[in-house]
Amino acid sequence: MTTTSSPAGSRPAPAPRDPSSPSLLQRLRRPDVRYLPVAGTLATLVALLVVGQVRYSTARQDFVSMKLISNLLIDNSFLLVLAVGMTFVVLAGGIDLSVGAVVALVGLTVAQLSIAGWPTPVVLVVGVLVGTACGTVIGVLVQHFDVQPFIASLAVLFLARGAATVIGTRSLPIDDPGFSAIASWSLRFGEGRTSWRLNASIFIALGVLAVAYLVLHHTRFGRTVYGLGAADRGHAVGLMGLRAERTRVLVYVISGTCAGIAGLLFAFYTKSGYNLTGVGMELDAIAAVVIGGTLLTGGYGYVLGTGAGVLVYGLIQVLNAREGLDSWWTRVAIGGVLLAFVVLQRVISLKKGPGAAPART
Amino acid sequence: MSAVQTSVRRATGHALFWPTTALVVLLVACSVASPGFLDVSVRDGALVGQPVDLLRNSVTPLLLALGMCLVIATGGIDLSVGAVMAISLAVSLTYLDGAADASDPATVVTAVVLGLVLGLAVGAFNGMLVTLLGVQPFIATMILMVAGRGIAMLITEGQITTVTSPPFKALGAGSLLGLPQAVVIGAVVFVVVALVVRRTALGMLLESIGVNRESARLSGVRARSTTWTVYVLAGVLAALAGIVYGAPTMAADANNIGLFFELNAIVVVVLGGTKLDGGRFYLSGLVVGALLLTTIERAVIIFQLPSTTTNLFKAAVLIAICIAASPRARSWVQRRRSTRPEPAPSSAPAKDPSAKELTA
Amino acid sequence: MSTSTTETRADRPATDRPVVQMSGITIDFPGVRALDGVSLRLFPGEVHALMGENGAGKSTLIKALTGVYAIDAGQVLVDGGEVAFAGPSDAQRAGISTVYQEVNLCANLSVAENVMLGHEVRRGPFVDWRATRRRAAEHLARLNLHLDPRSPLESHTIAVQQLVAIARAMVVDAKVLILDEPTSSLDRAEVAELFRVVRQLRDSGVAVLFVSHFMDQVYAISDRMTVLRNGRLVEERLTRDLPRRELISLMIGRSGEELAGVEETARAAIGLHDAGAQPLVSARGLGRQGSVEPFDLDVHRGEILGFAGLLGSGRTEAARLLCGADRPDSGQLDVDGAATRLATPLQALQRGIAYSTEDRKKEGIVGDLTVRENIALALQARRGAWRPVPAKELDAVVDRYMVALNINPKNPNALIRNLSGGNQQKVLLARWLATDPRLLILDEPTRGIDVGAKAEIQRLVVELAQAGMAVLFISSEMDEVLRLSQRVVVMRDRVKVAELVNDETVTTDTVMATIAADPAADPAADPAADPAAPADEPRKGGAA
Repeated sequence: MTTTSSPAGSRPAPAPRDPSSPSLLQRLRRPDVRYLPVAGTLATLVALLVVGQVRYSTARQDFVSMKLISNLLIDNSFLLVLAVGMTFVVLAGGIDLSVGAVVALVGLTVAQLSIAGWPTPVVLVVGVLVGTACGTVIGVLVQHFDVQPFIASLAVLFLARGAATVIGTRSLPIDDPGFSAIASWSLRFGEGRTSWRLNASIFIALGVLAVAYLVLHHTRFGRTVYGLGAADRGHAVGLMGLRAERTRVLVYVISGTCAGIAGLLFAFYTKSGYNLTGVGMELDAIAAVVIGGTLLTGGYGYVLGTGAGVLVYGLIQVLNAREGLDSWWTRVAIGGVLLAFVVLQRVISLKKGPGAAPART
Repeated sequence: MSAVQTSVRRATGHALFWPTTALVVLLVACSVASPGFLDVSVRDGALVGQPVDLLRNSVTPLLLALGMCLVIATGGIDLSVGAVMAISLAVSLTYLDGAADASDPATVVTAVVLGLVLGLAVGAFNGMLVTLLGVQPFIATMILMVAGRGIAMLITEGQITTVTSPPFKALGAGSLLGLPQAVVIGAVVFVVVALVVRRTALGMLLESIGVNRESARLSGVRARSTTWTVYVLAGVLAALAGIVYGAPTMAADANNIGLFFELNAIVVVVLGGTKLDGGRFYLSGLVVGALLLTTIERAVIIFQLPSTTTNLFKAAVLIAICIAASPRARSWVQRRRSTRPEPAPSSAPAKDPSAKELTA
Repeated sequence: MSTSTTETRADRPATDRPVVQMSGITIDFPGVRALDGVSLRLFPGEVHALMGENGAGKSTLIKALTGVYAIDAGQVLVDGGEVAFAGPSDAQRAGISTVYQEVNLCANLSVAENVMLGHEVRRGPFVDWRATRRRAAEHLARLNLHLDPRSPLESHTIAVQQLVAIARAMVVDAKVLILDEPTSSLDRAEVAELFRVVRQLRDSGVAVLFVSHFMDQVYAISDRMTVLRNGRLVEERLTRDLPRRELISLMIGRSGEELAGVEETARAAIGLHDAGAQPLVSARGLGRQGSVEPFDLDVHRGEILGFAGLLGSGRTEAARLLCGADRPDSGQLDVDGAATRLATPLQALQRGIAYSTEDRKKEGIVGDLTVRENIALALQARRGAWRPVPAKELDAVVDRYMVALNINPKNPNALIRNLSGGNQQKVLLARWLATDPRLLILDEPTRGIDVGAKAEIQRLVVELAQAGMAVLFISSEMDEVLRLSQRVVVMRDRVKVAELVNDETVTTDTVMATIAADPAADPAADPAADPAAPADEPRKGGAA
């Protein structure tokens, strides 16, 4: 018994314990819990569309139509951009509570500058850069000063609100011709009652979404963002030799920049700047991200899911309006939906926990 | 000589040294810029003057910070306090609005109790999310921070509910024993809470949870229910703050009551020397912090700065304190003699060599 | 011992140049010398085990090699050239990769990403996923791993994750692979799989530095050993020339004979409990999956029950089931003869069971609180928040234990994190003694503290047992366990392997033999039942 051992490696290797490549059928039969939130998103979206179709379709016009979709996108393009930026931060295990305030600050800055007669392109660039700057402050506080993300971004929220209040406490109209031209430009499709259109905001928002998708799924940086959201606050990313610090700052820079762009889109939408716009908009963005299937603890989710989350948000608003309810119902409904998804996520991660966690924690 | 140095170091090392110094400096500066700033006189049997105003305006941030401070001690945060102010005021005023006689003391008491019960319910809800479901505190409380205002709007049906009820109004604007009634309420509540927290073992257990939850649990501390209690308390205190704050105006403006008051509460807590990471907390610091905050707001007016800049100041103060408390800033201050990197990257002062080898 | 592979591996270094040569490495931490003139040689194509008890300096040495710590004196040569790494990624570029105890990969990413990220195939700014996955599959296949590169890492067992970590380490063509306790969370079949890969790498010329607490594994896999003790080099020897018992003596620092001489005190002072007495705590088939196999155990009043075994052998895990820290998933626990479920530490405390943890810093002290508060904590927790311990009473308790345990500084208002390890430990003892427990579980109460404090704690334990308290004493130090306890439970690899009545026939030798599962002294240990220890380990009775 002591003489029979063979040199290492020549012994038939025990089969790996997990099937190396489960068939599609197996995958379908035992779906990964990670897809549950996304499934929840799609189910919610479909449910809302069905409810709308059943309740509000008339003989002359279906509820579900291109018009509905284009209106949803027009009304929520700024939110889509915000939510895309938020997705980066949440995937990396952080949070950015400042985005609503940044939207207000950018709107007022743009209004003030165009009133002062600055050329439109410069105004637009400065507007975006204001957002970038806010995001950079958060990123530096989080990465280099070890401030918890929600505190750092809360501080910037108040900072941006404070700055907006200093610029002005009244709604400033933007009537710069260049600005108005961009804001009102649109492509019209169809005729009469069923006509629908695409405006500049939609293209910008969808462009941001597409770029975000490419970056998150097809670049090293994007995968590093996901890695930062892994267990142990992304500790492993640094040990793997990836640039953890730079990436963590950059996700906040991206979120701030997106907030800057969203601020412009919101200004296009309202053609004005006001210091109290976007109160609670950060919750809308977070809700869209969470409803879109991204885990708040980071590391899991899809930016395209965020897009679906924004549609769910918009539909809730539309149904609310069609029901003739007051607008604050939207707030409560969004809070309720967010709560449901947060609880769903907790249940999932508790289910996942015992198997994944080491024995003694 | 060295005894003097020691006592100077002890004084400057005290958690309340810098906030108190800042308060005194600011008060002196105000009274230089505006002579008579510190004068107090008696009118209609009540004290009046800037200092009395400062006291009265400090009550709301103090009440909010009191709850916030205990939540922070456990390593959490409560972002819903501003919304809770709006909800409780909305409930109280709506009840008064519907009551036959809004001036009846019993009705007023019921209205106030209703408001407080609502705060309690909100706190219980937050606490449930945090302790039972394990949702991160800022997310759990942020849901109500935003949706809470929607709820308040539902209660007031989107109107700014206004009622006339002298007893209710007196809660915020009346005076008692020569002092504003709000100040009396604030002082009584503060003393009661401080006594409960520090005379029972609650304070110590909260700190043990905030410093090292696992050690506390293994020592038999009921970490879960204790944490829950604190969120409930924060909800009730925020509700009270809403009533005291809104009573003088008698108008429940669900959109604006308590807007951004989370900031005030958090700033008061950090000004008072409590760290946002949890653990050690200083209730007496809250009084200084609240007075300092109110004085800053007033100083902005006295120095004829635009009143819109106050939030900017507060946010800057918050950021400055966060940076000052960070490990990096501390290591800048106490540059070490050795150029070798710290062996343990943890921020805790790990001077125990055995601890380094725990995983060896 | 017959396999030609092992012999050629072990013999080759005599002729080869070491790929890593560390000599005279000294590292000082504030107030303590962590490494003192340590040397280490790693040869290509060998598995080198780094052995030593806790605090011996193993991980400090590894961190010195990979550039995490700067060295204060000494020299590191890689391929004959002196190097000074600025950090792990620096070391990795020079061909030195580390795989840690906890898998340091991103569990949420795919297998391919975990293997390739940082070295992925790119087309312009974008990752060429198809080529990257193919490359990853190739690297995995080289380790005989056939996984779907798209599958998320977390869908695989910890063992497979470890192997993926090794595959990642090999992407950069590592010459040296450091495995820092890679097996501590693996079961036996998984260990076998890991070892297959390690052997394969060794045969391809990689130098593997292997750190583990599991004796069987070290003997199964290593060709050469370096033994450290208290930051010093004790021995470097071929594994086959170093019998297990001698290794343990080298690690602990005393020979078996020497240790046998000191064991008196407690055994004489405390008699064995009555055979018929009802045990205070009694476990039947108590176990928890992934932490400790089901075990039986009786603890009687007035006895000291020793737990012997190396770190990770399941001692702590067993203790945690007895005190409500973890919930068992099998078996029954009786307290005072009645079946009891301890769902929380508080419930255990209310029944008089106190547990002083092994991890003093993370699970014991509450760093920002004072000594006084730390002592009061458990006592107060049991009374609940609303009934504070009267200040006078607390003062008396604090005073009593600060004097009785000789806690320094004598200031109850000092923050506990500023105390030395030994004094922190004494404060924790005071915390539990203040609750007047009936069963006191002490997990490594003397680790990392100075000799004087150690003796004080040992004396105290005997006094407590004499006063009728049951004490469960867990320690890696054999002589300590034998000196104090009336019975000794021996744990190995998460299994309770023996329970010995500590009489004259039991010596450190016997216990060490049981822990080592040395067949010469313990014929009951059947190697066939132990897949992690393939037959090519050295055996005295083997036919060579």
